[in-house]
Amino acid sequence: MVTDDTVPSAPMATPANRADQRALIERVRRGDSSAHRALYEAHVDRVYRLCYRLTGTEHLARELTQDTFVRAFGAIEGFRGDSAIETWLHSIAVSVSLNELRRRKREHARNAPLEEALMIPKASPRSDPVMREKLMAAVNELPEGCRTVFMMHDAEGFTHQEIAASLGVTEGTSKAQLNRARGKLRVALAEYAEEWKS
Amino acid sequence: MNDRIDFGPDDDMPPMSDAEFDAWLTRVAPKLNAPSATPRGEMWKVIETAARTSSDAQAGRIPGVTPIRRHWRLLSLIAAALLIGVGVDRMALRREREQRVAATPAATVPARADSADPSGLYRLAAAQTFTQAEALLVAYRASDAPGRDPQDLRQLGSWGRQVLSSTRLLLDSPAGRDPQLRALLDDLELVLVQIIRHSGAPLDTTDRALIDRALQDSRLLPRIRTAVPSPIPADASSD
Repeated sequence: MVTDDTVPSAPMATPANRADQRALIERVRRGDSSAHRALYEAHVDRVYRLCYRLTGTEHLARELTQDTFVRAFGAIEGFRGDSAIETWLHSIAVSVSLNELRRRKREHARNAPLEEALMIPKASPRSDPVMREKLMAAVNELPEGCRTVFMMHDAEGFTHQEIAASLGVTEGTSKAQLNRARGKLRVALAEYAEEWKS
Repeated sequence: MNDRIDFGPDDDMPPMSDAEFDAWLTRVAPKLNAPSATPRGEMWKVIETAARTSSDAQAGRIPGVTPIRRHWRLLSLIAAALLIGVGVDRMALRREREQRVAATPAATVPARADSADPSGLYRLAAAQTFTQAEALLVAYRASDAPGRDPQDLRQLGSWGRQVLSSTRLLLDSPAGRDPQLRALLDDLELVLVQIIRHSGAPLDTTDRALIDRALQDSRLLPRIRTAVPSPIPADASSD
């Protein structure tokens, strides 16, 4: 799915709101339902956006966001506070999203009809939306990790620090994967160079 | 978590970056898979219901569902450890016996599956539970037929409790570390709890729609069918 939108900036983590978050998590652990709701309200937008970016459909983004929070509430006892709560939630969201995409990919590989492969348009794109469709198709062909880093950084505006923490990799790996993704996309879109150079 | 993400092979590094392309990409990328407005309220309702069902089951607030309390968890862990111990012991005995048989030229040993392997035993137990669960879910679907005896629903509940016990034992076993299997068992537990919860009386349309939605969303039946690849041999669990 390709639509116009702007990228929201990441919330700033100050010591004061870190302390608030710790108190909130404590209340969630004690089973305070209003705290569950407050935690959800504080983080749902970014989790939903992340799931949407990775999956591209509203239906899936909803399901995976719900799954992320149900799992998070169920496992909150195990959250040790080594990372920020939003990082922990994002890592769950990435994990459930990638698992679902893998499952769908396997299923699709079994069921994909031949006509679908024959329907890929060959004509040269002349408009920005068509070019974006081409780009999206190329993004979907990237290796899983590469694609995740690209969508988190270039599409959703995560910093390398946030990506590294969410994926459990170093910032260097995140940067390298982003460069790799951009390079692969440039190669994939080479025949349309006049479009992106104009 | 990095071990679970596929970054692809490292030997296909593309050429150096191109500032012009990167600038275009930075401009266009935010428009890829651009999210719609967050449906906060609708998602919260589902999350709240799922979280409440799970905590009610754990707290024993659902009639007919006995929660596995801490000491039962401990006992199930001990049982699993014993099972693994017995398995290892049997494996060692079998090897010894095979060595003795090999030393006797005239003897013949029939080929058979090694059921003493702990992970093999776990998978066997999981396969049996999934077979039961599949049958139960199919029976649940059939219980929608008009004119069904309410006694059938009660039997479905009692059957569901047995499958739920097996599911929880599998969830608590240290041998069950496969994340995909765990996710399937988690989803199965949730649906079983919902079925048991409503088994005392005929389901109204809302209750049934909720259970059907959970079944549909988690694609439980197809996943269970995938998890049980082939029929279990009748003698697989006996020695």
